[in-house]
Amino acid sequence: MIEFKNVNKWFDKLHVLNDINLKIPKGEVLVICGPSGSGKSTLIRCINRLEKIQQGQIIVNDIPVHDKSTNLTKLRAEIGFVFQQFHLYPHMTVLQNVMLAPVNVKKLAKAKAEKIALEKLEQVGLTEKSAAYPAQLSGGQQQRVAIARGLVMSPEIMLFDEPTSALDPEMIGEVLDVMVNLVSEGMTMCVVTHEMGFAKKVADRVLFMDEGKIVEIGNPTDFFDNPQTDRAAEFISKILTH
Amino acid sequence: MISFYFGRLMEIFPFFLKGLWMTSKIAFISLVTCTLIGFILGIFRSSDSTILKRLVGVYVAFVRGTPFVVQIFIVFFILPEWGIQLEAFTAALLAMAIMGSAFICEIVAGGINSIPKGQWEAATSSGLNGIQKLRLVIIPQAMKVILPPLVGQYVLLIKDTSVVSVIGIMELTRVGWVTVVRIPEGLMVFTLVGFLYFIISYPLILLSNYLEKRMAA
Amino acid sequence: MLVDFNFRVILEYLPLFLTGLRSTFLIAVVSIILALITGIIACSCRISGIKIIKYPAIAYIEIIRSTPLLVQIYFLYFGLPTLGLRIPEIQTGILALMLNSGAYIAEIIRAGINSVDEGQIEAGVSSGLNYVQRMRLIILPQALGVTVPPLLGQNIVLVKDSALLSLISVMELTRCGQTMTSERFMPAEAFLTVAFFYMCIYFCLKALADWSQRKLIFREAY
Ligand SMILES: Nc1ncnc2c1ncn2[C@@H]1O[C@H](COP(=O)(O)OP(=O)(O)O)[C@@H](O)[C@H]1O
Ligand SMILES: [Mg+2]
Repeated sequence: MIEFKNVNKWFDKLHVLNDINLKIPKGEVLVICGPSGSGKSTLIRCINRLEKIQQGQIIVNDIPVHDKSTNLTKLRAEIGFVFQQFHLYPHMTVLQNVMLAPVNVKKLAKAKAEKIALEKLEQVGLTEKSAAYPAQLSGGQQQRVAIARGLVMSPEIMLFDEPTSALDPEMIGEVLDVMVNLVSEGMTMCVVTHEMGFAKKVADRVLFMDEGKIVEIGNPTDFFDNPQTDRAAEFISKILTH
Repeated sequence: MISFYFGRLMEIFPFFLKGLWMTSKIAFISLVTCTLIGFILGIFRSSDSTILKRLVGVYVAFVRGTPFVVQIFIVFFILPEWGIQLEAFTAALLAMAIMGSAFICEIVAGGINSIPKGQWEAATSSGLNGIQKLRLVIIPQAMKVILPPLVGQYVLLIKDTSVVSVIGIMELTRVGWVTVVRIPEGLMVFTLVGFLYFIISYPLILLSNYLEKRMAA
Repeated sequence: MLVDFNFRVILEYLPLFLTGLRSTFLIAVVSIILALITGIIACSCRISGIKIIKYPAIAYIEIIRSTPLLVQIYFLYFGLPTLGLRIPEIQTGILALMLNSGAYIAEIIRAGINSVDEGQIEAGVSSGLNYVQRMRLIILPQALGVTVPPLLGQNIVLVKDSALLSLISVMELTRCGQTMTSERFMPAEAFLTVAFFYMCIYFCLKALADWSQRKLIFREAY
């Protein structure tokens, strides 16, 4: 479970997270949307402490994330993160990319780590690419490898930051399919995305952000068909016509 | 006339080989120490810690801003005044280490800084610690940027060993200097000296050019 | 350590250091101008297709780059007299600096010319520009951006390299430090003062190089 308590964050003068209070129960799928620059990425990056916060508390599975004493390695093992730009390690093969954390963080034996990594690659449908280098893969394949890399430590939580925004349209489907499968396994997920189809199909709740604030949060049908605020309505009409 | 001196020169050729050996020894030890220290300082210089960054920055500025020969004099003449006794050989190695690691530090920091932030973030998200991030993710990629200028820097360092002749180390240049006093054939003596340097440094120049082309591809 | 640092002696020697500074400055200016000319000529020969001037230029550049400057200085200092050429040390020194920096400058210019993208030339042709217009409006401004910052960097190197002329008794900045050391045996005061002056020159030239780097490098927009 993830909990935000009165979280505030500034980049210099820019108030990028404004008094965020949020509870994400175990097993929930939360879709986060909002205009560009509204703080969506920052919000989820705070969950595994890629960004620091200045005020408030974030608690993940009873661990206060932003405490000095927190064991970050253990925390990050419980959270998988998928970036918009994949960020695969270009000097390693697909398999090495996925094996990196189990071998070096969990200190598993190579053979054991390889077995787990291959399982995860199978889960994203890329077993046959395990010896390839990232540059040899399509964008959709790279993002699926990145998901496998996020899954390899058996995290309880997966965070996705616009996982399909950098992809050509014909590749979006294959990545979303992998994510839908994860949902059916009961994974807790926070997904920053503007894929309304995905949100309607699998999201438990949709969160709409603007200017660092949570403007609206509710179940997807209510949110898309009957938004409560003008800003949300305007935003929805924009992504519909898009 | 020429043949007379040429014969003399051939007689004392072993003397030149000794100088070459000394040059190689100083160069080799310096390259190893400079690389080690340079990488550590380069990592500091590209780190998030402002204090470390500044400190290394001041050190680098001092080294880059002053001639190597002045640095040698400072190490060789001033340290003893402050109670640190050094033999010429040790002083030479120390001066080389101070100078070379500053230049290599800049090359390494440049390489590390060329790696996109996303690679750090991905490695952080996987739970790697600071050293693991550098060792497994960042440095292997940065090597592509670091290697060509690093080899180029090695060539410069090898040539800079000639300057330690000023504190009396019997390396190649000093051998030439001593010889030319007895055999007044400057052109011949220093052509030989230059040729011996050429033998060591030219292959490295070719290697550096090759790496540059390969890494760019 | 620094507690008994003797500033009075430094003050006493200040006029000497200032003349040293002046001759270092003059040596550097004269050498860099000559080196620039040498570099342009060497580079022109190097990139020309004519074999009898191309290969000598390559030989010159590679020989200079693979031997130490100090050896080149001694080569001229001890070698010219054997050819019957007796010129003052300072001229020998400037000649060495010119030949040395000239080779590096030739390579810098060559890199600058090679850096202009083929597509830029094609774009110029497509816009209907003639050869001179393309050179003046497209190629040179871009090549200059890539060439000027490292040229200024070579300037910094040359100033420091000129310190080696002290070893053939040219009375420049470093030589002043040696003089003071031998007269008073105060190497700390002498060489730290020398270092201080070099640092001053370095920071001026560095500021200029950084400024040109910001101003002149054009990157293709992505
Ligand atoms: N490292 C940073 N330093 C300064 N400002 C930043 C930084 N990262 C993001 N910002 C700013 O914070 C705001 C929110 O950014 P972000 O969370 O990336 O928005 P979103 O993901 O919703 O597009 C933007 O205005 C952005 O310019
Ligand atoms: Mg974003």
